Amino acid sequence: MSGLEASSNEALELKEEKDFDVELEGNPDFDYRHDPFEYLFYRDRKEWSDLEPVPQDDGPNPVVRIAYSEKFTDVFDYFRALLKNDEKSERAFTLTAEAIELNAANYTVWHYRRVLLQALEKDLRQEMRYITAIIEEQPKNYQVWHHRRMVVEWLSDPSEELEFIADILSQDAKNYHAWQHRQWVIQEYKLWDSELEFVERLLEEDVRNNSAWNQRHFVISHTTGYSDPAILDREVQYCLCQIRKAPHNESVWNYLKGILQDRGLSSHPGLLERVLELKETQCSPYLLAFLVDSYEDALETNNTRATLNQAQEVCALLAQVKDTIRREYWLFLGRSLESKYGPTAAPQSDAAPSDAADQQELS
Amino acid sequence: MSEEGNQIEEFEQIDFLKDRHVRFFQRSLQVLPERYSSLETTRLTIVFFALSGLDVLDALHVIDKDNMIEWIYSLQVLPTEDESNMQRCGFRGSSHIGLPYSSKGPGTAHPYDSGHIAMTYTGLASLLLLGDDLSRVNKRACLTGLKALQLEDGSFYAVPEGSENDMRFIYCAACICYMLDDWSGMDIHKAIEYIRRSMSYDNGIGQGAGLESHGGSTFCAVASLRLMGRLEETLSERELDRIRRWCIMRQQTGFHGRPNKPVDTCYSFWVGATLELLDVFQYTNYEKNRNYILSTQDRLVGGFAKWPDSHPDPLHAYFGLCGLSLLGEPELMKVHPALNVTQRAFQHLQQLQQAWRDNVSSCT
Repeated sequence: MSGLEASSNEALELKEEKDFDVELEGNPDFDYRHDPFEYLFYRDRKEWSDLEPVPQDDGPNPVVRIAYSEKFTDVFDYFRALLKNDEKSERAFTLTAEAIELNAANYTVWHYRRVLLQALEKDLRQEMRYITAIIEEQPKNYQVWHHRRMVVEWLSDPSEELEFIADILSQDAKNYHAWQHRQWVIQEYKLWDSELEFVERLLEEDVRNNSAWNQRHFVISHTTGYSDPAILDREVQYCLCQIRKAPHNESVWNYLKGILQDRGLSSHPGLLERVLELKETQCSPYLLAFLVDSYEDALETNNTRATLNQAQEVCALLAQVKDTIRREYWLFLGRSLESKYGPTAAPQSDAAPSDAADQQELS
Repeated sequence: MSEEGNQIEEFEQIDFLKDRHVRFFQRSLQVLPERYSSLETTRLTIVFFALSGLDVLDALHVIDKDNMIEWIYSLQVLPTEDESNMQRCGFRGSSHIGLPYSSKGPGTAHPYDSGHIAMTYTGLASLLLLGDDLSRVNKRACLTGLKALQLEDGSFYAVPEGSENDMRFIYCAACICYMLDDWSGMDIHKAIEYIRRSMSYDNGIGQGAGLESHGGSTFCAVASLRLMGRLEETLSERELDRIRRWCIMRQQTGFHGRPNKPVDTCYSFWVGATLELLDVFQYTNYEKNRNYILSTQDRLVGGFAKWPDSHPDPLHAYFGLCGLSLLGEPELMKVHPALNVTQRAFQHLQQLQQAWRDNVSSCT
């Protein structure tokens, strides 16, 4: 506390000295905001003396009160004063930057800054540089990304976006805000051309990056689509290749299932065989789940006891050995399959009626 | 000797420190240090986490409910005399705009004073769990403010001045309409279309169309549909099975929010509650889930963190508790998986709504 008092006294003394030092005041390099010995509260700045600061009022029994420092309180008391008068001035604009530095999550400050950007016809290119720096510091803040989107829209200029987002993703390849902004830019400004290449680069760096797999689906579904059998097969082969390299990867299996499930998992020629091969050397809970789903898909059009048994076997394998954390779920799934398909399953050709009944008993 | 040692270690890891959590929430409700300044505009959500957390702990008696209720009502953005601000009504997150404290109307005109959808939601939920009858809520104003936030694509802004829009705010809107028992505040059909468009190829649900499926947005979507009473008519049994599968695959020990991401305590609620709404939470592994949540417990300060040996915060403390409640932890109250308040608070709401309907019918 005494430290604070001392520095404000010193600041007062220095200010008095400065009144006679015209050159120093005009010096653009002089930034007393960050110099603890020079920092002046707004309440002590003569250019602000016309404004009455507005304190926060939480009433007699404040809840979740945040204990702000004197500096913080001072900045925001003046911010509140500007807000109340809806002042549209250069000094207001400058103050928003200081308020943002203290709390970049305050959406009211950002909104007010945008009002000022337009009212004062500020340089939006400079604003892009500003918001770039802020996002680099705080990439998981909602307000900064929204602000960037607004500036890009006003400029109608997405030319820096893909590179900027790539840089943010190089620091955190799964940042949801970054991916969301990226999808918006690409869709809004039709910047599809090099995105698949970008996705592949990321998947080479980390084949388990689920965000990249999602982006792959985003790009292809909005460009070529999956209807062309050549494209579909290319994607299936890509998946199988990635599975061989890193078998324990839920993302690739989700993608494979995702692009095939509405056409029928068991409809892609030769796939079931490939998966059964992979089962021997590159098994995983995801592979086995894919198998169960493939069998179920087959059962929908051709309900046989043989296929049902195969599905049950895999459920049992998952429950007992390969995915025991979900034991109860795989058992439940087995029961569901049995009750859905069991009663009307075409019997096995060499099974006696009593055998079929026994099999139902056991499961 | 080593067996004893192991037993003691196990005991230390997995015992639930109820009293510490009560004190953690009490402290959260008092004063937070400046490093929490980024929470200023969302303070009402912190209040909700603490109050609902205390409710789940059956410890609301430790706070002064009346004072709390007054403070929450002071955050209501009420219509001005000429009602020119109806589309901006709702609840604020805090007093950060600088209006003088007032817990009754009419509203004060201010160029930048508006409600925030998540604050209206948590404000109403907090009043409810404190036993308030919502009689001082200007329902018409809240619903007008809410309607003004919905976009053409069915999603919602958080504030009338504009913001990002995604599944979170659809959930907030659904909760508001559900609590006020009035769906005129939103176009349900458009919201449902947005939800459907947000379903991913991998059968989870993202924050919006094309976006990566995520445990949080999946909860928001499914819980919203449940609150609207449209879950079974919007999603086929096959689609529901696919969502069940996506959700159940999120369990690693505790739960994560996206494939190939680390687990995080709060997903024990987001994903756990979704599984509960879909009737398959019973098939998850309770022991591993419980052990994970408790490993993130802060034994000194109380509360829970997203990961072990990390700093606790009110959000993870609250959702950690809710995650344990879903597991049937003995000392905890049951939580309504769609509305995210205790069953007791939910029953209070049902009684209130019955009284509202009775009043309406007795007037006609």
